Amino acid sequence: MLFFKKHRSLIATTILVVISLVMLSYHVVNPSVEPGPVRKIVLDLAVTMERAVNTPVEALENIWKRYLFLIGLKKENRRLVQHNALLTRQLVQHQEGYLEAQRLKKLLALSESISYETVAASVTGRNRKSLHQTIMIDKGSIHGIKTGMPVVADRGVVGRIIETTGHVSRVLLLIDESSNVDSIIQGGRGQGILSGDGNSRCFLKYVPKLEEVRLGEAVITSGICGVFPKSWLLGTVSRVARGESGLFQTVEVLPSVNFAKLEEVLVLTSPKKGRND
Amino acid sequence: MIHYLLLPFFSFLFIVLQTTVFELLFLNLVSVEISLILVIYAGFHMDALKGGLLSCALGFFLDVITGTIVGLHVILYLSIFFISMLVSLRVYAERSLFILSYVLACALLECGVMLLFYKHIQGLDLFHKFDTVFLPQILVVTLVSPVCFNSFRRFGDILNVRVERSNKRSRNR
Repeated sequence: MLFFKKHRSLIATTILVVISLVMLSYHVVNPSVEPGPVRKIVLDLAVTMERAVNTPVEALENIWKRYLFLIGLKKENRRLVQHNALLTRQLVQHQEGYLEAQRLKKLLALSESISYETVAASVTGRNRKSLHQTIMIDKGSIHGIKTGMPVVADRGVVGRIIETTGHVSRVLLLIDESSNVDSIIQGGRGQGILSGDGNSRCFLKYVPKLEEVRLGEAVITSGICGVFPKSWLLGTVSRVARGESGLFQTVEVLPSVNFAKLEEVLVLTSPKKGRND
Repeated sequence: MIHYLLLPFFSFLFIVLQTTVFELLFLNLVSVEISLILVIYAGFHMDALKGGLLSCALGFFLDVITGTIVGLHVILYLSIFFISMLVSLRVYAERSLFILSYVLACALLECGVMLLFYKHIQGLDLFHKFDTVFLPQILVVTLVSPVCFNSFRRFGDILNVRVERSNKRSRNR
């Protein structure tokens, strides 16, 4: 007993060193050993305490960063606003590109389905203040476009070329008062001349009163005059009025193409070889 | 007896504070091993059993919390503690310059042993991190050591070292 008391420090030292060496050797030999209960408890407690310490510290840090330490924030804000504007512009451009691609895809499908050689063109301008309902397209005579050629879109007939230069052409729309297209009512096969009213509608002229015309019936091109190919959709009957006098009835037609939103069109240049329409 | 009961709890609390609050004080830029300074302080002022247990506990908790191989810091701290104890019997270890130099030497020793251990036992060559990670830590620990020594002296009552220190000095004389 006296020996232990006398050499207490030496014994304690030896025991501690031996324990630590055993501990280290064990963990070196078994590096992936599962943590024991003591280690688990220590870790759990440590994490809990760290959270308890960190929560107010983080709160203080947040207050400091958000409300007090605002050096450079104005500059950063300006930079972010500019960056945001740039990204918004890019996003709009990308969306625009996507929508254009969708429209062109439709137009391409249309171009492949019809028996005419076509030239695709974009609408570059509208003469809103003009007396005539016309649009400008970005293709002209060097692309093979000539006066009188029909212009169509995926939904139906747009009009015809009335003027062309090297790189641009003017299209007279169906809704113009001077536009006249020989037409047929698809159901009853009654014929007439489709003219525009100068705004957004058309009238089918010279349809006899005896002819049965129903609302919603499709009006298509007759192909008689040779300007427009046969059976192209022009619009649908939106109103029929039979006056008491006269030989003809008034048939109002709603064009199938929305001219206000028209962006791409196809100009039918000539029939494809080997096909007759 | 109360000392031995409180010792693990105190050591645990100290290591947790070291890994949270002390690191925050240094803006999380450098990890400062105040526990090393405490081990050296214990070596200068405490007896073998109490100081050895404190070093063991600090090393163990540091290993567990920081995820080092359990036992590495235990053996390192024990070695540093016993070396410090031997040094304190021969040298007057109260001057700031001596504390600075001694802590620097111990921190370098600890770092060297750890790097060699990782290289030869674990097969991990961490020598390239000496300049960027270890050296700043060593320098910061060295610089804050006199302040820490003063703080530990103030908490001497809790550590129950005042009587031991005077006993040790009287023995030296």
